[in-house]
Amino acid sequence: MNKKKNSFQKFMAIPGMASVITAFAGVVILMIIFAVMNPNFAKQRNLLNLTRSICPYLLVGIGQGIVCITGNIDLSIGSVLGMSAMISATLICNGVNPIVALIIDLAACLAVGVVNGILVGKFKLPPFIGTLGTMTICRGLAEIVNGNYNTGDIGNAPLAEGLRDLFYYGKIGFLYYGVIVTLIIWFVFNYIMNYTRTGRHIYAIGSNVDAARLSGVNVFKTTATAYMISAFCSFVAGLVTMAAAGMGSMQAGLSYEMYGVAAAVIGGISTLGGSGLLVGVIAGASVWAILQNGLTLANVPVAMRNIIIGIIVVACVLLDIMRRNGMLGKKNK
Amino acid sequence: MGEIAVSMKHINKSFPGVKALDDVQLTLRTGEVMALLGENGAGKSTLMKILSGVYTRDSGEMKVFGKKIEGDLDTKRAQDLGIAIIHQELNMCQHLTVANNMFLGREIVKNGRLDSKEMNRQAAEQLAKLGITDLDPEATVGDLPVGRQQMVEIAKALLIHARVLVMDEPSSSLSNAEITEMFRIVRELKAMGTAIVYISHRLQELHHIVDSVTIMRDGKYITEGKFTDFTMDEIIANMVGREITNQFPRDFVPRGKEILEVKHLNAGRMVRDVSFEVYEGEVLGFSGLVGAGRTETMRAIFGADPKESGEIVLDGKTLTINAPEDAIRQGIVLAPEDRKKEGLCTKLSIRDNIALPNLDIICSKSGKVNKKTEDEMIEKGKNTLTIKMAGPEIEAGSLSGGNQQKVVVAKWLARESRVVIFDEPTRGIDVAAKVEIYQIINALKKRGVGVIIVSSEMPEVMGISDRVIVMCNGRITGEVDPRATTEEEIMTYATQFGDNAE
Repeated sequence: MNKKKNSFQKFMAIPGMASVITAFAGVVILMIIFAVMNPNFAKQRNLLNLTRSICPYLLVGIGQGIVCITGNIDLSIGSVLGMSAMISATLICNGVNPIVALIIDLAACLAVGVVNGILVGKFKLPPFIGTLGTMTICRGLAEIVNGNYNTGDIGNAPLAEGLRDLFYYGKIGFLYYGVIVTLIIWFVFNYIMNYTRTGRHIYAIGSNVDAARLSGVNVFKTTATAYMISAFCSFVAGLVTMAAAGMGSMQAGLSYEMYGVAAAVIGGISTLGGSGLLVGVIAGASVWAILQNGLTLANVPVAMRNIIIGIIVVACVLLDIMRRNGMLGKKNK
Repeated sequence: MGEIAVSMKHINKSFPGVKALDDVQLTLRTGEVMALLGENGAGKSTLMKILSGVYTRDSGEMKVFGKKIEGDLDTKRAQDLGIAIIHQELNMCQHLTVANNMFLGREIVKNGRLDSKEMNRQAAEQLAKLGITDLDPEATVGDLPVGRQQMVEIAKALLIHARVLVMDEPSSSLSNAEITEMFRIVRELKAMGTAIVYISHRLQELHHIVDSVTIMRDGKYITEGKFTDFTMDEIIANMVGREITNQFPRDFVPRGKEILEVKHLNAGRMVRDVSFEVYEGEVLGFSGLVGAGRTETMRAIFGADPKESGEIVLDGKTLTINAPEDAIRQGIVLAPEDRKKEGLCTKLSIRDNIALPNLDIICSKSGKVNKKTEDEMIEKGKNTLTIKMAGPEIEAGSLSGGNQQKVVVAKWLARESRVVIFDEPTRGIDVAAKVEIYQIINALKKRGVGVIIVSSEMPEVMGISDRVIVMCNGRITGEVDPRATTEEEIMTYATQFGDNAE
């Protein structure tokens, strides 16, 4: 009994774990509230849909979360997402083999990550400004790819159908392939963040960039890696959006950089860098998707929905900050 | 001599664990420039902060212009009494204009609008009183040279009718011409009847302006008198004259072959043509005043700051070092001066901090962290340095200062380095922790590692090093054998600024 308590205490002592637990508690509470409000919410069909709609939020949350841990921010996420959807769809509609299309698309997205990395990591542009620039540029690229039009349907060729299935429609048992793909990506990056040298370096530059540099960390390389991870996540999220619609939309991914911030921050990742766990992003993305889904089912108008979500997000983070500062604690400190 | 402007008697002040001021006294007269002298940490700044209301005294009597100060002084009250302080680091809003800075916090407002015209006029008038007529009150402060900015600070102090002016190391960042200009202004102020406390390590310059001296050491008042009654040697002897007790465990190891040679290193204003060697089995000490360029030299060697020219030779091989990672890989490591700012990732765990510079050893080829190697490394570090901690997973920032410093040192011991540089390794930590760090230094020395230690504490650098290099103003001004030298000799080298004023 005593030993068990100790390992539990050890678990809770992991920096950032308490915030993660809070976030997951929030997920459970929200689900209970919506289940009580509307019986349709807890139905299997809706819950399955929910798992699928979490995916893009989780993907951009992983990317933004990792960039946040380095102490920076990536505003280009939404635009890269749109670019990814537009480039892949345009190429496929023009008869390019979907696999080749995806490779070209991936290269383009990663290039944006590299540019972000150079601007912020090498030339020390404030990340807000540097990625604001690439955000605008990439949105422009997304529009220009197909001559300022959305693309048509990507067609029913076997590989195109495969894309739709892989990223959105197909499922095995209760699990959509898209959810599996997203979870695999999460596992890979969670592993990198927690068990590899690259992950340690990312935390270190976010915590104290001077100390990290004096400890031999290559700050530029690490910053660029984080931005490339973020670009990769946006690339996949773009494919999910494209697969869902079966076409490329120039508006795809609008505001997703902010959804990424929300998922990361609700999940306990500090925008100041150096702390936070990727497991929290799962909770953060879930909160976001559940709010969207639950409020829609409750027939709340869009405008009202936005207001409510905004308030809840701020409240979540405020609560977490107050808890960390011990303002909610009774007499401790 | 004028009337007594400030009199402080039996002033005591303690900080947790340290007695900063112990029964200190000071008398300052109007129309007089008094030099307040002492080594780093002698308590000069603390005393002046009490005078200007930044700190409150624990006990003691203070009189300003004959009026006894009851209770605590705060900065506002000190200002009302006419006490102004000009800090070593200037406190100016770089983006605002000269006039805006001078009137900051007491802007002239007419009908709810800032009266810029009037403020510019008064600022110009105030500057003219100091004999400065070629400074535009509308110039942006950040564009001015440091010397000019200091003039603005002085003018600002006069604007609040300061009658007591404290100048903390005012000449340390000025060029020769600027120093001459500043001295002219100080004489101007003196003629107006202002009482001035002048804190400086540049002893050779004092005779231009100083009337009297007060000397402090280790938080205690030592002596005071007319400046002309002292010789320079007497002043230095009074500043450093403590007995050197042997609290430093020095092991003798025969000096081996040369490990590191630095040739004609130049890096910015604070590292000028620095050359020295380090041998196996020796501790090379770097002494000098704060800001002498020792830290800058070490940072340049380590690749933390860019070099202009110079060569670094390790074991006969010339190294290319562009970033700290190059230095670490090739066997030179640096435990930096400011542990909170540069030494530790305070938000990360102790484990992560110790592992951070050694991930190349800990990680497999694919980059996976090998937990077993890591655990062994943490365990080893914990045992050699007796770091008191609840567990390696807790945040490094939650440790006490001494234990934080041990983590900073521990992270460099895990790898086989050829040269280990310690920059102020014992600043702000208790005696027991200090001795542990000295023992680590001795252990390294026995292993044949070249050790460099930068320290502003004279007894430390003399007690632990086998050879001491003294720097002043970015240059090496002397090299001494700590067993055969005196603190006075080191102090003489450390203050060789030359006489820069005309």
